[in-house]
Amino acid sequence: MSFDPNDPALRRRRPRPQLARRDVLRGGLWVTVGLGAAPLLSACGDSGSSGQAANGGAPYPLARPDQPVTLAIKDSNAPIGDGLEPEEGGTFNILNYAQYMAPAVMKNFGKEHNVSVEVTPYNNYDEMLAKIRQPGESFDLVFPGPSVLSKMVFTDLVQPLNHSYLPHLKNLWPEYQDPWYDRGARYTVPYTIYGTGVMYRADRVKSVPEVGYDLLWDKAYAGKVYLLDDRQEAIGMSLLRNDITGDVNTADAADIQKATDSLIELIDLVNVKTDVNAYSEVPEGTATVHQCWSGDPIAGQYYLPKGETPEVLGYWRPESPADYVIGSDNIAIPKSAAKPVLAHMLINDLLDNKIGLDNFGWNGYQPPLTKLSAKYLTDNGYIPENLSNSVVVRGDFEQGHTFYEVSPSTEALWQTDWARFKAGA
Amino acid sequence: MPDRPSGHDRATRRLWPTLALPGTLWLIALFVVPTYAVMAVAFSGQINIFNEPIPAWNPLDWEFSTFTTVVTDSFTPSGVYHEVWVRTAIYSFWALVICVSIGYPVAYYTARLAGRRRGLILALILAPWWINYITRMLAWINLLQDDGYVNKALGWFGIPPHAWLSGSSFTVVWALAYGYLPYFIIPLFASLDRIDERLLEASRDLGVGTVRTFLHVTLPLSRMGLITALVITALPMAGDYYTNTIVSGSPNTNMVGNQIELFLLEGPQKNIGAGLVLLLSLVLMFFMFYYLILTQRASREATR
Repeated sequence: MSFDPNDPALRRRRPRPQLARRDVLRGGLWVTVGLGAAPLLSACGDSGSSGQAANGGAPYPLARPDQPVTLAIKDSNAPIGDGLEPEEGGTFNILNYAQYMAPAVMKNFGKEHNVSVEVTPYNNYDEMLAKIRQPGESFDLVFPGPSVLSKMVFTDLVQPLNHSYLPHLKNLWPEYQDPWYDRGARYTVPYTIYGTGVMYRADRVKSVPEVGYDLLWDKAYAGKVYLLDDRQEAIGMSLLRNDITGDVNTADAADIQKATDSLIELIDLVNVKTDVNAYSEVPEGTATVHQCWSGDPIAGQYYLPKGETPEVLGYWRPESPADYVIGSDNIAIPKSAAKPVLAHMLINDLLDNKIGLDNFGWNGYQPPLTKLSAKYLTDNGYIPENLSNSVVVRGDFEQGHTFYEVSPSTEALWQTDWARFKAGA
Repeated sequence: MPDRPSGHDRATRRLWPTLALPGTLWLIALFVVPTYAVMAVAFSGQINIFNEPIPAWNPLDWEFSTFTTVVTDSFTPSGVYHEVWVRTAIYSFWALVICVSIGYPVAYYTARLAGRRRGLILALILAPWWINYITRMLAWINLLQDDGYVNKALGWFGIPPHAWLSGSSFTVVWALAYGYLPYFIIPLFASLDRIDERLLEASRDLGVGTVRTFLHVTLPLSRMGLITALVITALPMAGDYYTNTIVSGSPNTNMVGNQIELFLLEGPQKNIGAGLVLLLSLVLMFFMFYYLILTQRASREATR
C-alpha cells in the first residue's frame, strides 16, 4: 500500500463538485439563458415555478436513472479501428483532478509503453471544460462524471470507445457495463464510486443517532463540526435529513431555501466550517464530526497521529441504500487525443483487478470492480473492520440518490442559496 | 540664436508624452481592459453551454438588473451580502489598527534608532517575503491548533488552551495583520527615513520634549507615508479570501472575497461574481481617490 500520508499535495485534494442539471423544457440551446431572474426568484421564495420558467432545455437528452441515455455516435466522431499498434514515445497527457490517480500506476504504464505520463490538474468541471477546449491542446484521458458527460459528447469533446481494446470491461459490476448515463458504455467506463456520509472520531462521539447527520447538529461537538464544501452535497444532505424532499436535484426554490435555512442554523449552533479534508482532519482531531465522501475514512487511516489506531475513526452512512447519496466519476478519451490506442490500454489497465486495487490503495476511492467487495478489501487489509461500511455495494448504486445534470437556472438557485449560507447571514 | 529655445521646447514637448507611453500602455493593458472585461461580464448575464459568461462588449447591450440586485443585496441590512461587506470593513479596520500599533514603532525604530543594526532589522522584516504567503498561513495552523505551540506556551502560565481555529474573528483579524504587516512597515520606513534630521534637532533645540517632538514634527512629516502604508495594506486585505479560509473556514468569518470566489470559480452566475468585483473596486477606488487628493495637496504644500 503506497498511500503516503506525508505527501503534502494529497492535502490539497479538491472537492469534486458534480455540476448538476435537471431536465427542464428541452429544445432551445442554453447559449442564451437569462439568469438575472434566478436570484430574484429565490429571494422571493417563489416556489414551484423556479427554474422551469422559460429557460429552454439542453439541446441533447439529459440522462436520468429512469430515463437512460444512449449517447449518439456520429460519423464525424467515430471510434478508432480495431487492432491498431499502440503509439510510442513522447508524452501521454492526462486531464484529471489533482492527486486522483496513483503515481505508481502512471509510472509503470509510462515505463511499459515508453512514454512520459503527465497530469494537467483541474478543480472543477468548468475548469476542465476550459482546459480541454483550448485550441491546439491535446489530452489523452479525461475524467467526466455523469453530470457533464452528455454535454461533452454533444460538443464532440470526447470520442467513442472501441471495446475490442477493453477486455477487462467484464470485471466491472454488470450495471456499470451499461450505466444509465451512457448505455452500452459507449464513451466512458467508471473510474470510482463513492457515497456521502459522516466521518467522526469514535473516541469522542459516545453514541451515533439513528440518523447520523444529527451529529452535525449536536452542540456537544461545537467548533469541530464540518460540512463538505460542496453546495450539492451540503444542501442535498439537508433536504434528506429534514425530510424536505427525496429529490436531491430539486428545482423547487422553497425546498432549497428550507434546506439552506437548516444549514444556517449550524452557524450559530456549532460554528460549522466547510472544507473537503475529512480524511486528514478527523484523524488529526481538528474535526470531530465531518460530512464526507466514503473514500475519506479509507484514506483517513493513513493520517492518524502516531500511536493511534483506526478504531478511533467511525463512518456513518444511511442504513437504507435508498437514502444514500452515491456519486461516481468516469474515464473517457478526449477527441483531441494524440495517443488514443494507449489511452484505451490505460483504461483497460485501470479495470484490471490488480492495478485497480493498487490505484484504490493509493487514493482511497473504490472502482466498481466485482472482485473488490467489502469482504475482499477488509480481508486483505485495505480497510479496517470498523470502516468496512464505507465500501459502496451494488444495492447502494441501484437504489441510492445521485446528482445529475440540471438546468443552469436550477444550478443558479442552488448556488445563490449556498452563497447565502456561506455569507454567514 | 532665437530658434534654439523653441526647438528645445518642441523636443521637451515630445519627450514627456514619450516617457509617459510605457506607463500609459501598462495602465491600459492591466487596468482599463480588465476592468472593462469585468463590466462586460457583470452587465451581461448570458452564458454558453459550458457555463462560461458571454461578455456584452457593446455598452448598448448592457443589462443592469443583476448588478442592481448585487448592490441592493450588499447595502440593505437584510441583503444576502450585507453581512460580508460589514465583516470585510470591520476586519480590515482592526487589522489596520494592529498594523499601525505594531508597524509604526518598528518602522520608527528602524529608521531613527537602529543605527548600525538597521540593515539587519530591515532584512528580518523582509525575511517572511522569502516564504510563500499560503505557506506562512499554514504554519499558523500548526502553531494555533488545539495541541499546538501557542496553547502549549499558554499552558506554562496556567492559562487553559483556547480553540483558536474554530472559526474565530479574532484569529482572522490577527492573521490578516500578520500577513500584511511587512507591506505596511516598508513604505512607512521609507518616509520616516527621509525626514530631515535637522528639523528634529531644531525642535529639540527649541526646548520641545521627545514626545512633543514626535507628535508635532515626526508624526505630521510621516503622515503621507502612513497613509500610503495604510492604502497599500488595505487594498489587498479587503479582497483577501484565503487567509480566513485557512485559519477559520467558517461562514461566520467569510469576507466579500469569499463570495466573489464562490461565484467566479464555477457555476452559471459569473455575472454576480463580476458584479461583486466591480462593487469592491468602486469602494476601494473611492478611498484611492481620497488618497490621491491628499498626496496632491501635500505636494502642492511642499512646493509652495
